[in-house]
Parts: sequence; C-alpha cells; structure tokens
Amino acid sequence: MILKNNLKEVRQKKGLTQEELGTNVGVSRQTIISIERYRYKPTLELAMKIAQNLNIKIEKLFYFAD
Amino acid sequence: MSLSKKELSILIEVVYSIVFTLIFLPYFYENQEKNLILIDGLVGKIIQITISSIIYFSLAYALLEVTFKKKEARDERDDMINSKSYKLGYLLYEFSLFIFIGYVYSKFQNKELLNLTGNQELYNSFQLTDGGVVFFILVLLAFTSIIKSLYQFYLYRTV
Repeated sequence: MILKNNLKEVRQKKGLTQEELGTNVGVSRQTIISIERYRYKPTLELAMKIAQNLNIKIEKLFYFAD
Repeated sequence: MSLSKKELSILIEVVYSIVFTLIFLPYFYENQEKNLILIDGLVGKIIQITISSIIYFSLAYALLEVTFKKKEARDERDDMINSKSYKLGYLLYEFSLFIFIGYVYSKFQNKELLNLTGNQELYNSFQLTDGGVVFFILVLLAFTSIIKSLYQFYLYRTV
C-alpha cells in the first residue's frame, strides 16, 4: 500500500500556492512539492497542520492506495 | 536545472572539499615521509588554509544571501535529509577509522617482518611518521565529507 494524497487538487481549489501553504504550515515550498509528488511522507503533525489549514479532514487528504 | 538555496549551499561545501583536496593535499602527500616538526612551512600552510577557507566561505555565502534574499524555512524534510546524510557520513567515518587502524597496524607488522630480512633501506621506508598519519587522516576526512555532501545533494533533488 502506498500513501497518497489529494493535496495538489485541494490546495488549488482553495486558491493557495505551494509557497503560501508552506508559509502557513511552517515548511518550505520544496517540502510541499515533495509531498504532492509522493516523494516525501510528512509526519503526522505536519499532515494534521496541512489538513487543518486546508479545512479538510486528514483522512480525506491522505489515503492508502494499492 | 534550477537549484534551491539549500542545494547551492551544499554544492559550496562540495566544491570546497574538492578544491581543498586538489590544492592542499599534494603538500601533505609530498611531506608524508617526514615528522610534523620537520615539514617545511607547515605553520604557513595551516594559516594559508585557514585564511583561504574563511575568504571562500564568506564570499560564497554572501553571494548566496544576495542571490536568494528570501530566508528559507528549515523544516522536518531538512531534518530527515540531514539525519540520513550525516548517518552515512558517520558510517563512512567509522569505516575510515578501521582502515586507519589497519594502516597503522600493517606499518608496524611489515616493519617487524622487514627487520628480519635485514634490508635497512626497505625497513626505513616503512616508518610511521606524523606527516603520513596527518596525510592519511586528511584523505579520509575529505573523502567522507565529499560523499556525505553529495548524498545530501542527491536527497534534496530526489526526496
């Protein structure tokens, strides 16, 4: 099972740039890019911060795929 | 290929390690047969290395700050990349220490064997000198540092 996410779609729906989201949750733009490309798996703390910032439930943002 | 501030900062370290290896290591290589106290201009060379390092890093980081005015946040991804690369560096350093111990041991071992043959010239060439030890340690440190930084750079590009 691979941990995937809808971060790019949700972020774009909210009209946020990678830079803005990164600043809001206290990480760099590169980290947001890496999460969106499934290269980097965020810690639970960061995942919750992102979900909270995007006003979405964490399980809707991050999910397991086969 | 666009590089971030952190990636450029790593490249600055890699370039320094390579330039240091190419410019200063030959000096220690030439003097590896001598004891430190007998090496010509050692103090001058150390001062030269220190001053050139300060100038290089000051200029490189000042240029980096001017080019990238915006401060980049340090986050958990940086911590993860740093812990992975430093772990590799630490393992290489440990491995290097074993090589170093083997090097010292082989010098003593071979010296004892050569003593039995009675060949004085060959026996003398197996002297373990301060200069040789310093050269060997510098080579290992430069090698470890370059590999660690390159791995760190690779992780920044791929993670």
